[in-house]
Amino acid sequence: MKVPLSLVVNGEKYELEIMPNRTLLDVIRIDLGLTGTKKGCGQGKCGTCTVLLNGVPVNACLILAPQANGKEVLTIEGLGSEGLHPLQKAFAEKGAVQCGYCTPGMIMTAKGFLDSHPHPSGDQVRAAIGGNLCRCTGYKAIVEAILAAASAQEL
Amino acid sequence: MPDLRVVGKSYPQIDALEKATGRTEFVSDLVLPNMLYGRVLRSPHAHARIAHMDVSRAKALTGVRAVVGYGDTPGIKFGPRSEDWTIMARDKALFEGDELAAVAAVDEDTAEEALELIQVEYEVLPAVFDPMEAMQPGAPLVHEDKPGNIAAEFKLDVGDVDEALRNSYFVYEDSFYTNQVYQAYLEPMGAVAQADLSGRLTMWVGTQIPNMMRMTYARALGISPENMRIVVPDYGGAFGAKMENNVHLVAAVLAQKSKRPVKLINTRQDDFLAGNPRVPMYIDIKLGVARDGILTGKDVRVVGGNGARTVYAQAIVATACYRADSLYRFKHVRAEGYTVYTNTVPTGCFRGFGNSQMTFVLETAMDVVAEHLGMDPLELRLRNGIGPGEVSVHGWKIGAGGLAECLTRATESAQWKEKRERKQPLKGIGLACCNHVSGNRAFVREFDGGAGLVRVGRDGRVTVYHGESDMGQGQKTAFAQIVAERLGIPLELIIVAPVDTDISPFGLGSFATRGTMMGGNGVLAAAEKAFHQLAEVVADMLEAAPEDIVSENGLFFVKGAPDRGFPFIEVAEAAAFKRGGAPIVGVGYYSPPTELPDPVTKFGNISPAYPFGCHIAEVEVNPDTGQVTVVNFTAAHDVGRAINPMAVEGQIQGGVAQGLGWVLMEKMVVENGRAANPNFLDYEIPGPLDVPDVVSILVEPIESEGPYGAKGIGEPALNPVMAAITNAIYDATGVRIKRLPATPETLLAKMQELKRP
Repeated sequence: MKVPLSLVVNGEKYELEIMPNRTLLDVIRIDLGLTGTKKGCGQGKCGTCTVLLNGVPVNACLILAPQANGKEVLTIEGLGSEGLHPLQKAFAEKGAVQCGYCTPGMIMTAKGFLDSHPHPSGDQVRAAIGGNLCRCTGYKAIVEAILAAASAQEL
Repeated sequence: MPDLRVVGKSYPQIDALEKATGRTEFVSDLVLPNMLYGRVLRSPHAHARIAHMDVSRAKALTGVRAVVGYGDTPGIKFGPRSEDWTIMARDKALFEGDELAAVAAVDEDTAEEALELIQVEYEVLPAVFDPMEAMQPGAPLVHEDKPGNIAAEFKLDVGDVDEALRNSYFVYEDSFYTNQVYQAYLEPMGAVAQADLSGRLTMWVGTQIPNMMRMTYARALGISPENMRIVVPDYGGAFGAKMENNVHLVAAVLAQKSKRPVKLINTRQDDFLAGNPRVPMYIDIKLGVARDGILTGKDVRVVGGNGARTVYAQAIVATACYRADSLYRFKHVRAEGYTVYTNTVPTGCFRGFGNSQMTFVLETAMDVVAEHLGMDPLELRLRNGIGPGEVSVHGWKIGAGGLAECLTRATESAQWKEKRERKQPLKGIGLACCNHVSGNRAFVREFDGGAGLVRVGRDGRVTVYHGESDMGQGQKTAFAQIVAERLGIPLELIIVAPVDTDISPFGLGSFATRGTMMGGNGVLAAAEKAFHQLAEVVADMLEAAPEDIVSENGLFFVKGAPDRGFPFIEVAEAAAFKRGGAPIVGVGYYSPPTELPDPVTKFGNISPAYPFGCHIAEVEVNPDTGQVTVVNFTAAHDVGRAINPMAVEGQIQGGVAQGLGWVLMEKMVVENGRAANPNFLDYEIPGPLDVPDVVSILVEPIESEGPYGAKGIGEPALNPVMAAITNAIYDATGVRIKRLPATPETLLAKMQELKRP
């Protein structure tokens, strides 16, 4: 019943055998032990499980792992592999991290967004993170952090 | 007070980078060797007798290691407030979501599959869902030994309310309803449990109250508290909910039965069905006022929904009955409160703890009264607001209260007067205030206070132990700042240990906006003790008197002679070497000068300090859809000295967002006892596009009881939001919102009603 799965996660190649109904989120969190990616709702609403799939932010809880076969996944652990990513630094400095449970997904969404929109406005940032919920911060500090990271990346 | 170097400055949370890089291990990330995964079978019925349950097929499934039900528990009745809990249902399910059985298996999918193999025959019983209906004669009883479904009553009568209202120029009388909402922390509740050979249990739980939880859970499991250890890893938000919950105890029973570690984390749906959501309340109010705007009397009746078993609803209803009385200079107040069982999810704490419900009602009433008097709502509050040094009707010593400054600074910043004069159709501005506590002597009768333990290692690293709980609000950082300030060392040298009941002080936990006040004072006292020991070591090294030793920026020296000082790390090392390797350990505590309220009159100063706030909302209402947009929001808060202004601002932004969700969006819909929207797709919380940037204003009168002058902020950040927004909606549309939430369809219907001749 199991099917082969070939993935590149954070630059490392994995060959796995999984049940075809396994989600990409379970593969990342349980099979690979990369628990930086969170599970908040299992329905694609809260965004805590956001990873980049071939550079595009997706809710890993909604992706069946076989759909990711042969693709590249970037998780929070793979971000800023050579030191801190500007987003990680800015989230800390701006007070965008409270409980921190939404933070990895929020940062991955922001990373995908900034890669294609390097000079965003505040409204664009709010729209871009519209699929990520945070219950602690009221979002203001998060928006500020993403704008600050965008400025830092320009330098 | 000397110049402060660490306290009063904005720092990121000390573990923010751990969180931002995905390294932090939350409860749901923990993995132990040989660990099993648990799932709970929950009742699909709101009230049903369990005629028969067959778990044999679940047990036989490959990969299942334990299946448990009531028979696997000690069968002890227990509860944090009232002994109306059992760990799983004995013979009756009392609400949809009630725990009937549970499975532990080698993985989550197998546990899920096993649940489906458990066969239950139910005999559905008559049920009651609304607290008002549950109080009626002949209503189905949730617990046979609780006549009238009354879980608790509260009565208070101070002064002569009837006389005061009779002599009033105007008495506003009306009925309100505040609905049940869900805390919606992003990490669902859960635990990892493990029993050792002797039967001693360790539980890793995201909880606000590790020490009190340990007492309750030990009783439930029939073991001594010493045979239970609770460790609090990082966890993803709480907002009041993460206190006692059966899901943790089910994990413990599974671990006992399987003799293996078990992780049991709620699915989001389970968390909606059986978390501890907000107490819904029916509130009737009479508020009297003299012609000059001086409040004469307040009379309230509160009926709150307890759900099927008691979490904290009775204390929450009591709080709704009387806490807001100390916002103004009332002399005559009366309240009666009923906490009523229903066949619905047990209700608990949610930021504001009953005071948020009553603040919505009282501050709406104030708006009505102001309009009737033709008085600016700001002026009405300035005339009645309780001031610094005053003692309230319930004996609360207000201390450095900054309500008036909150009012003036918020209204100036929001251009209140100008905007009210420049009235535009469908645009409105509204104002509301709140008071709160920083710790509540009435909540735990045995004691209130806080303690800390500060350990100075040989290497100059300082570990701070406390018994409260960082649910994400930044408490660890505040404690680290306080200790760094007192020891005169850089913040980077401080580690704040996770709460572990084997080591940490017996703290009551994080609720009642008490963490900074109680825990902060506790760790400050501990740092003080550690400093004196360090000073003795330095005094020896410098042949000086210990009382002359001071420290600054990591240097210890005789006052006035920093050039002959020693770096902290050398002092720490000298201390350890001189003392056979013993670390310096400072243990200290704070015992607040509070009073247990009189059981009848409720008179007594329940908190060492009282925070205040004033919110101003500006809204625009779409006349075609009834959609309310909050375009501007100003929040001024009296927080005493802000230990970490950025963290305080984060609390304010987040509290306003949460309040906005409650008043405009959020609603737990129950149809015939069934949750209709137990998930984030159907229960919407504010997203980034729903929340305005809040202009936050910190009012900082130095509170003599607080650590470095601080008091709390957690709950006040939410309390005034609802009335500020509904008062603004009234200003915009003429519609008074008396039932929460003010959804577009309800507002539109009321706007159309107003238009009819």
